Amino acid sequence: MTPEEITLAFEWSKRINLEIYYFWTTAIMILIHVGFLMYEMGASRVKHTLASGTKNILAFAFVIPTFYMFGWWIYLAMYNGFVPDFAAGVGGVPWGDYMGPNLDDNATGVFWGAFTLFACTTASIMSGSVIERIRMAAFIILAVVLGSVAWNLSASWGWHPSGWMVTKWGYHDTGASGVVHIISGFFALGVLINLGPRVGKYNADGSANVIRGHSLPMTMVGLLLIVTGFFGFFAACLLYGGAGEFGGMGQWQNIYGGSTTLSAFCFNILMSVAGGMIGGYFKTRDPFWMMSGALCGVISAAAGLDMWDPSLAFCIGFAGGVLGPIAAGLLDRLKIDDVVGAVSVHGICGMWGLLAVGIFMGGYPSHAEGVPPISFSGQFMGMIVMMLIGFVPGYVLSFIFNLFGVLRTSDAVQQVGLDVEIANDAYPEKIKS
Amino acid sequence: MLNSSPITSWEGATAFFNWAGTGGTVFWFLVMVVLCCLPVWVSYKAENAAEEEYGE
Repeated sequence: MTPEEITLAFEWSKRINLEIYYFWTTAIMILIHVGFLMYEMGASRVKHTLASGTKNILAFAFVIPTFYMFGWWIYLAMYNGFVPDFAAGVGGVPWGDYMGPNLDDNATGVFWGAFTLFACTTASIMSGSVIERIRMAAFIILAVVLGSVAWNLSASWGWHPSGWMVTKWGYHDTGASGVVHIISGFFALGVLINLGPRVGKYNADGSANVIRGHSLPMTMVGLLLIVTGFFGFFAACLLYGGAGEFGGMGQWQNIYGGSTTLSAFCFNILMSVAGGMIGGYFKTRDPFWMMSGALCGVISAAAGLDMWDPSLAFCIGFAGGVLGPIAAGLLDRLKIDDVVGAVSVHGICGMWGLLAVGIFMGGYPSHAEGVPPISFSGQFMGMIVMMLIGFVPGYVLSFIFNLFGVLRTSDAVQQVGLDVEIANDAYPEKIKS
Repeated sequence: MLNSSPITSWEGATAFFNWAGTGGTVFWFLVMVVLCCLPVWVSYKAENAAEEEYGE
């Protein structure tokens, strides 16, 4: 082969491998939605099973086209704040040359796909907390605003090499503890305040009743599938073949362009999942919280997945696994009926994840000129911004829906079961709840 | 807050996780071992309580 042919072959290989890599991370991420589907249906009572499942799948289905319509553009163009950079957003304009089959561009489709699945995950997190009483139309609009607007804005600000939180504060959130989990957890909290609890959840004296879902085994398997899907999620948080030696085929990079390895992710995902499971078991001995603890663990370690010492990732995950059920108990006392614990698992553990990076990861040199290093203050301020981008739209929108009476199903329909609105039966033999 | 970086520059960096090559890694390793032992103890106590209540 001539040197020119070798260069061409190398470029071809690089382009195709990048495409293959992100294509399959997207496919693996769909397992998160299989898991959410099982988790939420299992956590529902028999009479609400299909309504919960249908709602969950519709969140996934609606976020995909709306992410195509405006979500991807928001991510590319809004990194400065609320003033868009129209030149940077060109690649995300739905009628542009890059947003469809194009032999000159192997990258946009697979990057768009991976980011779309991040958006779907964000919307689905809210889905479980509101089951058994939210109205479908209101839920779909809330899911679209969360997955295709709020998340994109937070990602553009804090999960983009040029994002203002990154360049001004040195905000570090490699695996999206803040930009996915705090956003979705606090959006859910805003909705839950207006939505109110399920019928029968709280007594007149203020005490809470435990309402168990109809299949804990289904929920447990679902949670493990979510963990499996997170391997695709985190793999897609890496940039393939960043700048460096060998003509741009150097080391892996995190979302900010900083050096890391896929091995670093593998160590720390597994260790934090195990830490969270053990922490959840230690705190509650309840299999629901043991499995939710796995999520608490990996969400707690996600922001620093690229740099943790694996033993420390385990300890941070363990702390997350203990923190999740404690936070859920506190919310219950405040009469916030979060059916699957999304606010505590995602919102509170996401906060812990960002702060843990601020506490334990000082001193690292910056990757880019002019970007401040990681600091506790940068992480803390970033956490506040993430809480607000999540909570404010969730609260305001659900407040308006509630004002017009389109947020919550009536008590009578809740008592007969939301599945009366669904054109099928989950269990035709009529298993009694 | 805690300066845990084992590197001062990314140029030529090798092991870059927190406290790589220092006693910090041993400390967190020992904390992890303790955290693994605690749930085993909790589980043992819970099983003993069940044995006392329902066992022969």
